[in-house]
Amino acid sequence: MTTPTPTPSTTAGAGTAGTPVATGPLGAAPGLADGGPGLPDGSAPSPRGSHASFLSRVPRSVWPLVAFLVLFAIGGIIRPNLITVDSLIGTATFAIILSIASFGQTIAVIQAGIDLSVPNTIGFSALAFLTLVGPLGPVGAFVAALAAGALIGFFNGAVIAKLGLTTIVTTIAMNGLLFGVILLAFNFSELTVTPDFVIAITSAKISVLGISMPAVLPLGLALMVVLQLVLSFTGWGRSLFVVGSAAETARLAGLPVDRIRITGYMLSGVLAAFAGIVIVGYYQQASATMGASYLLASVAAVVVGGASIFGGRGSVVGTVGGALVLGQVSTLVTVLNLGANIQQLIYGAIILLVISLYGRRRAG
Amino acid sequence: MSAITPTSTSTGLPARVWNGTGVVRLRREGAIAPIGAFVVFFVVYVIINPELLTRFQLQTAANLVVPLALVALGQLIIVLVGGIDISIGAIMSLCNVVFAVQLETMPVPVAVLLAIGTGLACGLFNGFLVAYGGLPAIAVTLASAFIFGSLAREVLDRPGGGITTEIYLATSGELLPFVPVSLVWLAVVAVLLWLLLQRTALGRHIYGVGSNMESVRAAGLNARLTKLLAFGLAGVITSLGAMMLAASTVTGDPRSGDPYLLSSIAAVALAGAAFTGGRGSIIGTILAACTLGLIGNLLFFAGVNSYWQYVISALIIVAVVGIPVVWRKAAFFAKGARS
Repeated sequence: MTTPTPTPSTTAGAGTAGTPVATGPLGAAPGLADGGPGLPDGSAPSPRGSHASFLSRVPRSVWPLVAFLVLFAIGGIIRPNLITVDSLIGTATFAIILSIASFGQTIAVIQAGIDLSVPNTIGFSALAFLTLVGPLGPVGAFVAALAAGALIGFFNGAVIAKLGLTTIVTTIAMNGLLFGVILLAFNFSELTVTPDFVIAITSAKISVLGISMPAVLPLGLALMVVLQLVLSFTGWGRSLFVVGSAAETARLAGLPVDRIRITGYMLSGVLAAFAGIVIVGYYQQASATMGASYLLASVAAVVVGGASIFGGRGSVVGTVGGALVLGQVSTLVTVLNLGANIQQLIYGAIILLVISLYGRRRAG
Repeated sequence: MSAITPTSTSTGLPARVWNGTGVVRLRREGAIAPIGAFVVFFVVYVIINPELLTRFQLQTAANLVVPLALVALGQLIIVLVGGIDISIGAIMSLCNVVFAVQLETMPVPVAVLLAIGTGLACGLFNGFLVAYGGLPAIAVTLASAFIFGSLAREVLDRPGGGITTEIYLATSGELLPFVPVSLVWLAVVAVLLWLLLQRTALGRHIYGVGSNMESVRAAGLNARLTKLLAFGLAGVITSLGAMMLAASTVTGDPRSGDPYLLSSIAAVALAGAAFTGGRGSIIGTILAACTLGLIGNLLFFAGVNSYWQYVISALIIVAVVGIPVVWRKAAFFAKGARS
């Protein structure tokens, strides 16, 4: 590729902050990644007074939740009848489905990648599940669909880690390949019945603490807790952050970088596959393009959740918060009857706001 | 690259001849593999379907690939400065509907200028935030993908607009027998872009910013302005692709650009461009777009279910991009073993 030249890390001072990073956001082979070593947490503190340092110590994943509560309150001020448990549950259900679809994306972004094969992994696993329910039974089909997700993730990870192809190119190619497989392999006219098993874990109403809610909500929250514990407290989870922030350093420190990458993409694939089954259970319909809207939305939820698009930073709790913000915007827009276009416009504005707050910090 | 190229061309006279024909430059820009892939593809295509070389099919095929080729060139310029444009599909949709709607009331040149202006404005919006805001291109363009997409549906919420048969003939008809107009337009854009990138200071700065931002800055050049202009230029070229698409389908459609997001990135990847910036060729990108755009047609004529096109496109991309990587690695290990 390029010959070794003075790396940005040696020359980039505070005066040139920002731009060196912007030159190679994602594609960078490990050695070419932007120079900043960047610790997984705690960017270099700049003590500008106790107030600022207190704010910088608040975990990033809290901010989207705060933003959600503010939006919820704004909704209540505009329409007082919006402050109800039902309204909250409705928004949260929308958000948790988007979150489940974005968990895999979060894992990919943390390790300085991006998974653009999420949409068709969702579609493939959903349709594979429906097709296999007949011969294998619901549990067998469920396991098979998740295994398919793992396999998809394995191929992504192997090509990225072993062949050194760019994550964007690899996952776009995988997305296209899966679309072809979806169109070729499945007989859509037969896939109309959603098995009771999936309905029971998604759209069926259950009562938690006396509040009736769709089963997918506690399921998604439980998944969030498990994933966050894995990311925060297991060796594998911590090493994922190290690989994301400084792959070369991780390699020199003796971490099995390739293996961490591949297992990261496998987990990402499994989670996207799980999202496919959840979506088919909740909306009770499946089509070849059912995942398409999650291409940008999953990245949006991750970014609004405070993850760094350069890797090494992010949390599934933050992603749920990001999805809640997007979900509440959607609720407000619907209530105020502004139309889907305004909703998309606000999504864009929120992403711009979030990246202008966070996007540059790592270069500082 | 620069460490490899001198050794492989330091064999005297033949090297200078190769240099003169630009083969070395093509090789440095990673274009050899996509050109080879296209030649193989084209030969297979003509063997399976000799009818391609008839007037009607040539025209249809050209109309199919030209919008993709233009959008891919737009994406290429962003990739050259080390960015990526997630909003390129939305920019295309927006320019497409602006063009179609303006044609209902305005004379054609005004509509064309407005569509180009829209593309320029979108590109400069992204470019300003990336170059002067210091924000990552992928995140900025993710946000603007939502914004431009919603604007496009605000301008025109369902397919329609005032595109006439004259406009179809002017962009997608035949100039001479066997010469589709769309290919002529593509050639004009490609040659102008080539001159801009290879023969002007701005063009060399665009390559420079992508391959080594710090060196460009240390040399006293305005790296930020270069980036901004690159984004603007990409927006303009995308708007041209949008107009070609609108004209060849004779409608404006607020979702017409959506499929071009992934396929433009795929074409740039197939062209051997480096997503870290600074490497990528125009001819490689155009031929990569032609290959990807015509696979569906080829399968149709070969009597294969054309859904296979998605699988085959993916495999071609991974093969063409991956084989040189594997080759380099193998060569590296072989060299290591010898010494």
